[in-house]
Parts: sequence; C-alpha cells; structure tokens
Amino acid sequence: MDRRTFLKLSGSCAISISAGCNSEPAKHLFSMVRAPQDMVAGQPTWYATTCRECPAGCGMLAKIREGRVIKVEGNPLHAINRGRLCMRGQATLQGIYNPDRIKTALLKHNGKFKPISYARALSLLAQRSRQAADRGPDRVYVLTESVGEFVHAHFSKTLAALNSTRLMVFEPFAYEALKTANRQIFGLDGLCAYRMQTADLIVSLGADFLETWLSPVEYARKFKAMHAARGNAKTGRFFHIGPYRSLTAANADRWLACRPGAEAFVAMGLIRQALNAGAGGALGPAAQQTLRELTAGYRLEKVAAVSGISTDILQHLSQVMLASRRPLFLGTPSAACGPNALQANIGANLLQRILDPELQRIDFNGRHRVETAHRRSEIYSFCRQLAADPQGVLLLHNANLRHCLPPQNGIARALAEKTLFTVSFSNFMDATTRHADLVLPVRLPLESWGEYGGKAGLVSTLQPAMPALTGAPHLVDVLAALIPDVRPGGRYARHSLYTHLKHTGVLRNRLQWTQTLQKGGIFQKFAAEDRPPLPELAEGPHMDALRAMVPPQAGGLSLIAAPSIRVFDGRGANRPWLSEIPDPLTKVAWQTPVQVHPATLAQRGLAQGSVVRVQSEKGVLETPAYASHGTIPDVLIMEIGQGHAGFGRYAQKESVNPFHLFPARTDARSGGPAFYTPLTTIKDSGQRADIVHTDGSRTQHGRQIALAVPVSDLVEGKRPPAPGLTMETFPLTLPLPAGYDKKRDFYPAHPHSRYRWSMIVDLDRCIGCGACAAACYAENNLAVVGKARMLEGREMSWMRIERYLDPEHPERVIFLPMLCQHCDNAPCEPVCPVYAPHHSKEGINNQIYNRCIGTRFCSQNCPYKVRRFNWFDWQRPDPLPLQLNPDVTVRAKGVMEKCSFCVQRIKDAHDRAKNAKRAVFDGEVTPACAQTCPTQALTFGNLMDPHSRVARLVHNPRAYQVMGYLNTKPAVIYLKKVIWEG
Amino acid sequence: MPQSAYSKIDRTILDTLKPAGRSYWIGVGLLGLGVLVGAACWTYQLLVGIGVGGQNNPVGWGTYLINFVFWVGIAHSGTLISAILHLFRAGWRNPIARAAETMTVFAVCTAGLFPFIHLGRAWMVYFMLPVPNQRNLWPNFQSPLMFDVVAISTYLTVSVMFWYTGMLPDLAIIRDRAAGMRKKIFTVLSLGWTGAHEEWRHYSRAYLFFAALATPLVISVHSVVSWDFALGIAPGWHTTIFAPYFVAGAIHSGLAMVLTLLIPLRSMFKLKEIITLRVLENIAKTIIFTGLIVGFAYGTEFFIAWYSHNSVETTVFAWRATGHYSVEFWIMVICNTTIPLLFFFRKVRTHIIPLFVISVLINVGMWFERFVIIITSVARDFIPHAWGLYAPTLVEFGIMLGTFCLFFFAFALFVKHLPSVSMTEMKEVTAP
Repeated sequence: MDRRTFLKLSGSCAISISAGCNSEPAKHLFSMVRAPQDMVAGQPTWYATTCRECPAGCGMLAKIREGRVIKVEGNPLHAINRGRLCMRGQATLQGIYNPDRIKTALLKHNGKFKPISYARALSLLAQRSRQAADRGPDRVYVLTESVGEFVHAHFSKTLAALNSTRLMVFEPFAYEALKTANRQIFGLDGLCAYRMQTADLIVSLGADFLETWLSPVEYARKFKAMHAARGNAKTGRFFHIGPYRSLTAANADRWLACRPGAEAFVAMGLIRQALNAGAGGALGPAAQQTLRELTAGYRLEKVAAVSGISTDILQHLSQVMLASRRPLFLGTPSAACGPNALQANIGANLLQRILDPELQRIDFNGRHRVETAHRRSEIYSFCRQLAADPQGVLLLHNANLRHCLPPQNGIARALAEKTLFTVSFSNFMDATTRHADLVLPVRLPLESWGEYGGKAGLVSTLQPAMPALTGAPHLVDVLAALIPDVRPGGRYARHSLYTHLKHTGVLRNRLQWTQTLQKGGIFQKFAAEDRPPLPELAEGPHMDALRAMVPPQAGGLSLIAAPSIRVFDGRGANRPWLSEIPDPLTKVAWQTPVQVHPATLAQRGLAQGSVVRVQSEKGVLETPAYASHGTIPDVLIMEIGQGHAGFGRYAQKESVNPFHLFPARTDARSGGPAFYTPLTTIKDSGQRADIVHTDGSRTQHGRQIALAVPVSDLVEGKRPPAPGLTMETFPLTLPLPAGYDKKRDFYPAHPHSRYRWSMIVDLDRCIGCGACAAACYAENNLAVVGKARMLEGREMSWMRIERYLDPEHPERVIFLPMLCQHCDNAPCEPVCPVYAPHHSKEGINNQIYNRCIGTRFCSQNCPYKVRRFNWFDWQRPDPLPLQLNPDVTVRAKGVMEKCSFCVQRIKDAHDRAKNAKRAVFDGEVTPACAQTCPTQALTFGNLMDPHSRVARLVHNPRAYQVMGYLNTKPAVIYLKKVIWEG
Repeated sequence: MPQSAYSKIDRTILDTLKPAGRSYWIGVGLLGLGVLVGAACWTYQLLVGIGVGGQNNPVGWGTYLINFVFWVGIAHSGTLISAILHLFRAGWRNPIARAAETMTVFAVCTAGLFPFIHLGRAWMVYFMLPVPNQRNLWPNFQSPLMFDVVAISTYLTVSVMFWYTGMLPDLAIIRDRAAGMRKKIFTVLSLGWTGAHEEWRHYSRAYLFFAALATPLVISVHSVVSWDFALGIAPGWHTTIFAPYFVAGAIHSGLAMVLTLLIPLRSMFKLKEIITLRVLENIAKTIIFTGLIVGFAYGTEFFIAWYSHNSVETTVFAWRATGHYSVEFWIMVICNTTIPLLFFFRKVRTHIIPLFVISVLINVGMWFERFVIIITSVARDFIPHAWGLYAPTLVEFGIMLGTFCLFFFAFALFVKHLPSVSMTEMKEVTAP
C-alpha cells in the first residue's frame, strides 16, 4: 500500500466511524438542574384525581416517580370509594401508557388517516364547525360519554356558540328501566343511591352491584358492611334472582336461577306475600287494593312454575323477607336482561315502599352521575335523524357507538356520509373512531384538569398528574377554541376549572381551591335536598306496565349479554392487565367464550371448546363454548366487551361482540334496550378452540383449601376437632416459635426480630373481584404474557383468585385469594441449591433474583404453586415501560419470582420508622393488594406485635391455614367463609 | 492348533480396531449431525429462554430431567457389572465389562449435560460450585440438587478412573503392535506399562480397590438422584421407597441398555465367540430379577397411597393409571414388569432378536417411568386450581435427539479406537 492509499483509507474510515456512530439520544425523564418543584429523585409524589374508567367516579391518588405516574390507588378521603379501586381503576395506567395510543391528530384523506399537527386539526375543526353553524341551527352535534358538570358545561357553551343544542350523553348502560321505575314509584327522575350498609336483607332482581352496577367499589364496601361476619355473628342476608350467575350472584347466600324475565314475577309474588302479611299500610288503601288485585294471581306456586325456581326456595325467601327489619330491594343488572326489566324494577321499588315505608335504605341525595346519560331510545332516534340528514359536524367524545350498539341503528350510515364531518376526541383507534373524518386526541383524565362528581352532593376534581405524554390538548381547550373571542391554551383549562367551581358556589377562596385539589374534592355533604314527594301508587303508568307483563320464554334458546367486571362495556379491552387477569367466575383470560349450561351442550353433542355458531334473527356469530353451571339450561351468556374492530393490539379481535346478534330496539315504556335476545339455533361448526382458562380443576376435591362454616356453628361456637396430624385435624401452626412442636418439627423455629409479617385473608369478605391481582400487576412490574403463553400455563400473576365450585351444588362458589404464603417452614427454601429463596429475619420468604439460576425446584416443591418462572424475556412495548415501578426489579428470563409481600413498601416503612426512631406501627405497611381490596378482605401486619390487627385476627375461631397439615406454617392465614344453610 | 487361545483373543479384539469402512463413517457422520441438531436447539433455548420447552407452572420439569434420570440410570449397570460382579467373581461379566463401563462413562457425561440444559440461567451454573467469593455466598448443601452435583461428579470421576485403570494393559498391547503416530499416542496412553510382575501386582490391587470403591457408588448415586424427588413434598414423590426403587430401576434399565449395545456390537465386530449367548442369557436372567423388583415397587407405591388415606396421594395415583397420562403409565408398567417376564422362557432369552427387542422395550419403558414420576406428581398436586398438563416441544425433542446421538456417537468412536472387550480380563477366564 502506498502512502496515498493509506491516507485515503484512513480518512474514509475516520469519516465513516464518526458519521455512523451517533451517541444514543439523551433519554432523561427530568433534569436534576431544572427539576420540577416537588420532585425529589427516589421519592414519590401523590396527586389526587378522579378515576374515569367508568361513570362511578371513584377518587384516585396518582403516585408519581421521577415525573411519571407509576401507580394509582384509591383516595382514602373520597366519599365514594374510601381508598379502594377496582381492577379497571388500577388499569387506568395502561390507558396513558398504551402502546397503541394515538400520538398526533389524524385527518382522513381518501379513506386513509394521515398525521397532521394539532394546530392544523384545531383550526380545521373550528372552520368546519363554524361553517356548519352558519348553515343553520343544530348543525353541530356532540356525542359524549358521561362527563362531569365542568366538561358538560363546556360542551353546552360551545354548542350554544355554534348555534346548537344537540348534546347527547351516551352510556351503554344507562339504567333506563331503573330510572323509569324510580320516577314512577319514588317520584325521582334519576338514579338514587342505596344505603346498603344499613340493610339486614338484600334481594336483588339481578343488580350486579359488585361488578358494574352504578358504583361497584362503593357498593362492594357497603355490601360487606352489612353482610360480613362480625365476631361470632352474621346477620346480613343476600338473595340474588336472575337467569345467570354474575359475580354478584356468586356472592349471594342464595342464587335463585330463574328464566329471563321472570324476576318481575318473583317480585309480584313477594308483593303478594307482603300484602297478605299485612304490610303496605303506608301506601294508602287505594294503592293497596289495586296492588292486591294485581298480584292476586301471583301465588308462589304459580311464580315458581313461571320462573323455574322451586316453591320451597321462594317460600323461604318470602319468610326471610317478612322477618327482615331493614330489607333492601334492588332491580335489574346494568345490562337489564329479560323482557320485563321495567316491571322488575317497579316491583323492587314497590317492595321497598311496602316493606320500608320511610325509605330509609334509599339515599335520594347521593344521586349517581350516570343518570345524566340519555335513554337508549333517544340515542337511537338521534342516530336515525343523523342518518336521515347527515349534515354538519359530529363531535365524538369516547362514545364508541359502533362497538356498544347493535348494528342497524343508523350511526354507521351517518358516519359514512361525507357531508357529516365527524371528529373523534379518542386516544384510541376504536370501532367508531376508525370511521371519523378527523381524529383529534385530547388529554386523558390523568393528564387533565377537570371535575367529575360520581354522585350528587360531592365535588371530585381531576388534575394533571403528569405532563401530557403525547402533547395532546385539553378537551376544554379544544372546545373553547371553537368559541370566538376565547383564547385557550396555557393555563386556560386550570383557570376555567377554578372559575367553574367558584361560579357553582363550591369554592369561596383560593385557599379552598388548593385544599380541594390536594384532597381530590369536597366530600362533605351539602345541605340535604328535600326528598321529592312520593307519588300516589293507586294508578299510573306503573300499573299499566305491570298489567302488560309478558310471561318469560319457556323453552327455546336465548342469549344474554353480560357486562364485564374486567372491561366494562369494552372500554378496558385494550388494557393488557384486564385481559390477562382471568374472569372471576369462568377463570377465562383474554377470551369471552359463550357460556352454555353443560346440559344444553350435552344435548347437542357439544363440549367445552367446541366452536359453535350462535344464530339469532339479526345475525350469526362463531365462538367457542364454555361449559358453565352459572346459567340455566337454554340460556347462553356472553360477556360484553371483546370482539373489537381496531382498538389496538391488546383488544381481542377473535372474540366476538354479542351485540351483533341484537336488534336495535328499545322497550316502549322505559326506552331501554334489552341485553337479551331469543336465539334461533346453536350449531356445531365442527371446529375446536382452546379455552384459555387458568383453573386446573373447578372443585377442591374435598381438600382443606377454601373452607366455609355454617352460621349456626359459628354462633354456637362449635369447637374444631381435637388436634391431630391429618389434613382435617391438623392444628393452626403459627409462623412463630409458638407454632413449633418437638413432636412435629425437626428444625428449631426461626428467630425473628421484632417483626413477623403476616396476612389475614377473610374469605367471608372476599368477593373474588380481582382488584388485588390488578394492583399487584401494577405495583410489582408483573409481565403480561398474552393468550398463547397463558394456554401453556405461563401466566405471571403473583396473586390469583382461586374459584371453587361445590361438587354437589355447582352453582355455589367460594373464592380464595392465593399468594405466596411466606411459610415459616417453607418447602421452597431448602431445595434451592444456591439459597435464592431466602428466609428473612422478618419472616418474609425473599426471592433473590440475581442469585436464582432457574432450577425451578422451589416451584416444584411449593404446595401452593404460587411461584412464577420467567420463561422468556417478556415484552413491554413502548411506552409501557414508563409505568414500571422503579422500586421493584424487572425480572429477566430464567429466574423465579413470586409475591414479596410488597417488600419495597416494608423497606420504605422501615426507613421512615428509623428516621423517626420508632418501630413500624400497625397499618403503616399495606401491600398493594390489601390497599385496593374494596371489601377489606386482606389485613396485613406484624404477628409479633400482640396489639396488631393480624395478631388479634389469628385468634378468630374461623382462622385456618390452607393445606396446613403439610406443616408449612404459612403466614397467610385464612378466615373461613360463613354461609347460611338452607 | 498352534496358536494359543490368548493370541486368538488378542487378534479378534485387535481386529475391531482396524480402519473402518465407509458405512461406519456414514453412521458416525449421521450421529454427529444429530449432535449438531441438539446443539442448535440448545443454543436457541439459551438465546430465547427456557420457555421454548414445554415446561410450565405447575409442571416445571420436563424431558430434560426425565433424560437426566434416564441416563444416570443407564450409567448404573456398567459399574454394577464391572465392579460388583468383579467382587463376586462372576466370570461371565468379563467379556462385557469394558463395554458396560464405557457405557457408564458416556451415559454419565450425557446425563451430566441435562442439569445445565435444564437451568433457566445456564450461564450462572457456577453459583452451585463452592467457589470462595467476596460475598461469602455458599451453595446450599441441604438441597438435593447439591447432593446431585456431588454424587454425579464423584461417580463420573471414579468410573472414569476405574475404566482407564482397567484399560491400561490393553492399551499397552495396542502400543506394542502399532506403528507411527498411533504408537506414539498409545505410548502416552499406556503410561509406560511394561507388564512387569510388580506392575501386575499393583494393577490387580488397584483394580480391586476401585471395584470396592465403586460398589457403594452404584447404590448411592441413584439413591441421591431419587432424593431429588423423595425430599420434595409433592404427592407421589415424598416416599421412602424411592431410593431402592430408583436403584433397582436404574440397574434394570442399565442391563437392558447393555443388551441393546452388545447385540449389534458382537455381530458387527464378529465377537460372537467372546460375547457368547450365555453371557447375554445371564444378563436376561438378571433383568427378570430387577424387573420383578421394579414391579414390586410399583405395587408398593399404590398400596401405600391407598393405605395412607390421604386424598392428595390417592388422587395422584388413581390419576396416573386412568388420567391424561395413562398411556404413558401403562407403557411403563407393561414394558418394565410384564415384558421382561418373557425371559422366563429359555427360547426367548437365547434368541438374539427377542433379546434385542425386549431390551429396547425396557429402555422405552424406563424412559416413561421417569416421565410418569416427574410429570404426573406435580401436574396433580395439592391445589386443584393450579393443576395443569405438560407436553414436550420440538426443541426438547431436538435436544433429546442430540443427546442420544451424542451417546451413540461417542460409543461408536470408542469401539473403533479402543478395545471394547478387555483382552486382559478375557485371558483371565480362558485356559491358555
């Protein structure tokens, strides 16, 4: 090589190296030089806000670390949820960090979306709406989900400026039948709240108040307040009447399975019994007389024949009801099914007025915000009008009509018209947004200023917990931009919220404003409104409705679309946690198969996993069948919420949307839809599909796992059998030196110093809702593995709810939260060759991830099978990793993991205690699961502190340990469920 | 016959070391290819994660551990034949001792691979070694897996030394007759053996001591392997019968593998006069005995499960016989306990073909025995909600193929390059 070539070569090398090797772009989340005021690296900051995952409006605290939200928890001050959240609330985070979130505005051009800037989208929207407004009145339409007064006022103001009044509030579950019944019987045009905690008997005609009904977290708490065992007594009873076993029905003392539409007949029968027993004096003689005449035909035998419930059980229910001093009657589910939904609600309300003349169980002031939603009949007529005259601008705010409504309602036609300029404010490409002309994503609730009082009489604020991730504008900014002379942007949203609260008389000064934001709202009751006068019941539309009751279909197939505790109406379907956590009752994850009674399947030569063709007048769907005892024969159940068109990678497309089988019809009296339709056939398609269910067995095979005790045994204080060594007689062996006995134990007890952490799980309080599991996913960076991996048995949940059916009565259910038992004599510890499972001096069974080499012996030897192995490096598409909790290691492939009792929270408490030179006090540490449990079924604490709650609860006669006879001495101690016999 | 019987032995055996034909090398090449397939599968598994196999929760151990126990079992008979039968002065073991020992060495090596393959983080395996480190972390000697490390490595060391010691005089014979490069290699390998009287005296002492040292290992190694399970608490594992049951099963499978290897060997290398039918018949008779022990163990397990009145225990055993893996269970029962009984018939045990077929069937049966033990117990253990099933994946089959090929590959190379029958020991039982 000559000198020149050498120089040429070295020159080009130097250039290519310097050009090719850019350093990584800076990825700092924050700058230590200019850190936000309240940010200390390593310290969380909490902001109070409001959950907007459903219309209930629970208070929420967002935990911020280094400038991003990593966890949400219930706001303990909030009047609705008192610090608890359901699994949908926990999954709020996966909305903001969703990898399929739309990051820019999109304009449709020749059928395809093209990204445009927010500014351009805004000016386009302003221009089009101005044009529409100029063309005449009512040319701009708003279709929104249920929103708070603040946003509602903004919508109205903008519409007014645009010469329009067409503001429609759409909620798929709008409680039309309940609203109508409330108006007719209580004289209240809306949705009252229920003082469930004061009742001693609840009779629900299907109301699924533990899942989606009105305000599930609130009612779950109130339900357990009346229903859970206290000391050695249990007074509350709960009867659930309905064609399928919802989670609520599974938590009832008795589930009375009836034909769809027969609930109203049961109500009539009960009214007759009550009147015959001399109740109902407060109604007045005329009303009593008419009711007596009306219900004369509803002898219990006849009701039994119509409904399919046995006369004995009805008789029993009637006796319990008449003996009850404080009964509460609830109406139909959120998705009212059956032909007599209105009548069932009227029946429930009538019973309330007959047996609770003062209506003490009814809270007329705390009205649920979802009452502002328009009736389905109004939505349909709006859609039809729009389809008939598709002119102007339609603004869609999280109203996914194409998913939540049966087809043939006109909206599809309207959206397809070019003359109607449709703008969607959604952050996700859902079925409706796909058909919009302009997608203008606005900030999600965790990034916004706002107000949403889930119940009347309280103010619940929203504030941005973190900077907007996508640069999207506030909804109120967008709306204000459509009004001439208003300059949004900057601090407009915050300021307008302040002005709104001030104008409505809630705030008096700026100090109060700051306090309100800090607390998340104003929760003390305003002056109680007067109760509306009770209507006279002798005659009226309710009587006409009751006279027009149709007998339920006997024989013939029908389908019920049931709301999902996991994804509500489908809005949660793109949150991977919600699909990964199995349904509480079917234990099916990711899918929503059609649930069919085993007898119905057997009749047709089908089995679980057969793909069936379900056909109604309106359409046909192919879906796998799930054999379920949670329904009556011939009634098929399908969960609402999957089968999306679009909506990102996590929404399940292969599952089907049951609404495709439904007609777009509403009840003439209530204007509500029926989430129920007769079917013409179900046929075998010849294919088979794998059902992703996480339960290996539906029953507990007579083992000492999830135990129950009858109320009478509890009251009598029946002693357990004499201690022995068998599964049935093994005594409670506490994970303390006291639990060791030379006769049983070879090794001495662990010397714990000051602390021995322990958890008490009250099965009588656990409703199986799965909020704990979701909280655990969020807190502990659990991986989502997806459908295929779950089929292989590789889910990573640290906390699972085991659901066991009674082998003799498969309709009876017991739930058992299963997590690492932190055994004192842990079988996992001695078998590891490298001491990766390690017994800490506070009794926690620590898993040392970087010591683990992956022999999996610990998992093989764990009798509770709570250890989870990282079979792969799990995927978290960007920006989901931003949600990861920096206090918890993200586990790499090849290591074992499991519940740590949220050891990071224990460490944190220790740090605080050490700084203050004191011991960690009882209640200072709460693991994520216990923190969110709506019914307070989980109690965590130090067993060595004799005054701690756990130390007191282990002396409860209901205390036992799962598979205690293995002498593992678990630190998770269960309290037996208390059941009513008969 | 001018030629002495001794030189005939030498010639017959040294003939096996003559340069091989094309078919041999094709066979070896195919086996080598199989090894590469296995290596590729393992590499893929290391890169992607152990999840490419079929293990899951609750069945955390799959074919890797099945094959581990299977090969450790195979490794047993070599030492049994060469050491225990040597101590008992059973002369019929002399023709087969070398092959059996070689089988032991290669089987232990193959078995030793599986714990590595099976690890979630194979690259961290050195955590199991008691290496001094600044954090004072020490392996957990309470863990049966640590027992395994100790037992298997001891067994490998002792059996390699035993094997090599026994081979020394033979290596010297080859050295004496070889030329060129080969001579140099065997000069080194034979460690300067001259055949002096003193050397013979030391040699036979050493061999006897090794035999005595190896004998307890035959019992201990598989007992230790059985404790991997017996010290666990899963139903069907936690039982005191496991150690003798595993040892009997190991010898059962080892003897069958000896038959599987020797029958082709003696016909391929014309060793019929040395490895006589009587030798094979004696192995077959021993198999009847071990088969009966194994059958008794199966029966005892079921009896104890029933006798315990423990529902967890009875469920597992009832499920083994009737549940999802009942086919595997009945393959195990029939191949291991029923079919060996055919050896009671003289005609069966003195015919090459039935001997070979039955030996292969026993190997299959013993593989499924390990399958049934390792899979079914955890698939149906304490918490019914967590029950699950397991099925091996293609990657696992690939690795399994690779390791089987590795064993036969090594064995094929051995028979062509080292004396597969001990000339020295043959001479001990032959009249000059």
